[in-house]
Amino acid sequence: MAKSAESHESVALKENPVQEETAKPTVVGWQGVRCVLPPDWNVTGFSMERESGYIRVDAPADSTLTVQIRWTDAGAPEVKTPYYVLAPKVRKLLRRPEPVQAKIDLKANLDKFLKEIAKQSKKSKETLEASSKPEREEGEDGKRHSINFNWTGNGKGQGKIWHCEVCNRVLVAQVVGMGKDQSAIPNVASRLFSSLEDHAQEGYELWALYDLQVEIPEGFRLESQKLMSGYLRLVFLRGAERIIVDRWGLANITLKKFSLADWFANHAEVNLKRLQKAENTTESGHETICYTGKLSLFAQLQAIRQAKFSLRGVPAQFEGGVWHCAESNKIYAIQIWRQTRAEKLWDEVLRRCVCH
Amino acid sequence: MRVPLKWKIYKTAGKYLPFLKIRPPEVDRNSAMTLRPARNSLLTWEEKESGKTILTVPVQEKKGRVARSMAKWMQVPAERYVELDEVGGFVWEICDGKHTVEQIVQLTSKEYKMNRREAEVSVTMFLQMLHERKYIGFYKRTANKSRKG
Repeated sequence: MAKSAESHESVALKENPVQEETAKPTVVGWQGVRCVLPPDWNVTGFSMERESGYIRVDAPADSTLTVQIRWTDAGAPEVKTPYYVLAPKVRKLLRRPEPVQAKIDLKANLDKFLKEIAKQSKKSKETLEASSKPEREEGEDGKRHSINFNWTGNGKGQGKIWHCEVCNRVLVAQVVGMGKDQSAIPNVASRLFSSLEDHAQEGYELWALYDLQVEIPEGFRLESQKLMSGYLRLVFLRGAERIIVDRWGLANITLKKFSLADWFANHAEVNLKRLQKAENTTESGHETICYTGKLSLFAQLQAIRQAKFSLRGVPAQFEGGVWHCAESNKIYAIQIWRQTRAEKLWDEVLRRCVCH
Repeated sequence: MRVPLKWKIYKTAGKYLPFLKIRPPEVDRNSAMTLRPARNSLLTWEEKESGKTILTVPVQEKKGRVARSMAKWMQVPAERYVELDEVGGFVWEICDGKHTVEQIVQLTSKEYKMNRREAEVSVTMFLQMLHERKYIGFYKRTANKSRKG
């Protein structure tokens, strides 16, 4: 039936639809940093580096509010010398204690940070006015020293700088806003600072962005990522062991053409035909199609090559699974290349993957 | 919609004299989200049972006698067909000049349970593509000026 432009029934919508009050808060997790923000905030920028990096999260629609989090490893020198790489390993081998580090000068770090903001403000012909509170101890056992600060220049910002003794990171987090959005800064800042963490919890690091939430064991490092509209992939490595987490959107359309098993078979990194198939149920009650089996010698060599010829933790076992989350209209898949002794890895990662 | 003379100059002079760097003013994100996409009235469309939408695009008649006779000899079809997937068809349906880009993003996000940001990126890219092919135009609703006297 051919339609014309006039015959279309319009969808009734308010001019500015009000956000649903029951919306879930946004959980963000990246490189060990985790925080909770108001609903519909999204990650818009990040770095891949673990030692020093940043993450930027923006408010939805036309709001100018942004959250910027930067971290640096306080123990890492600016130039990586062979001594820097080898010394900790030799100390570990000889069972020598790590040298006691000098106390981190948070005030100097903050001044350096504010200087950068002053430069930006100067470009837009604004003068920076900044104020900070005295340094204080916080967190469990007072292992975190922090300074709260505010600034007004090209916009307005409220932030916090801290040094965590547990992970030895210096972290700067701030909420920035312009114009009419400045009034919302304190609310977002209190929410951010009450939930912000900078290291793994119970040995697991949270990786959360764009409706994907998964906790990965601490030793795994992010190797690569693909963040596309409707498709996310995070690849983690620990030696030659590997975890791949995939998330596809628009599951209802995909599953009209393919069955879940066929879809996974097309996208899995190994041939699933020789693997043992089983059905399982996730924590959230979704039926999962799981595959388990020994990796072929070729697959093991491939894993070593992908791990840049690291012979540490050569995987012998593959475990993978896929499930459809109807509530969020998404397909989730996890693939794990593990050593034989890491038996609980699959169950733990699957249990800690939140889909809705 | 009447195109202002300034924009016409931008389009012609800017296109043929690129070194002058004459470009239409850049539209910021906020004002782009308030634009209302509307379908080209020359296009008709049909929704298939598979969920796909087929657009029928009339092919412009060739100018000049030689071009016309060549087209006739080569049997150039009078119309082209463009296939849109389910999401594309959904967006096409609501490009009626009544909904803003922001509203289309929200409706798409709600319908397919997409993340707001993902929906925005997909929808804006799709609308941009439709606009480049002249399948849709963008309207900006301006406040009506009431005449006195």
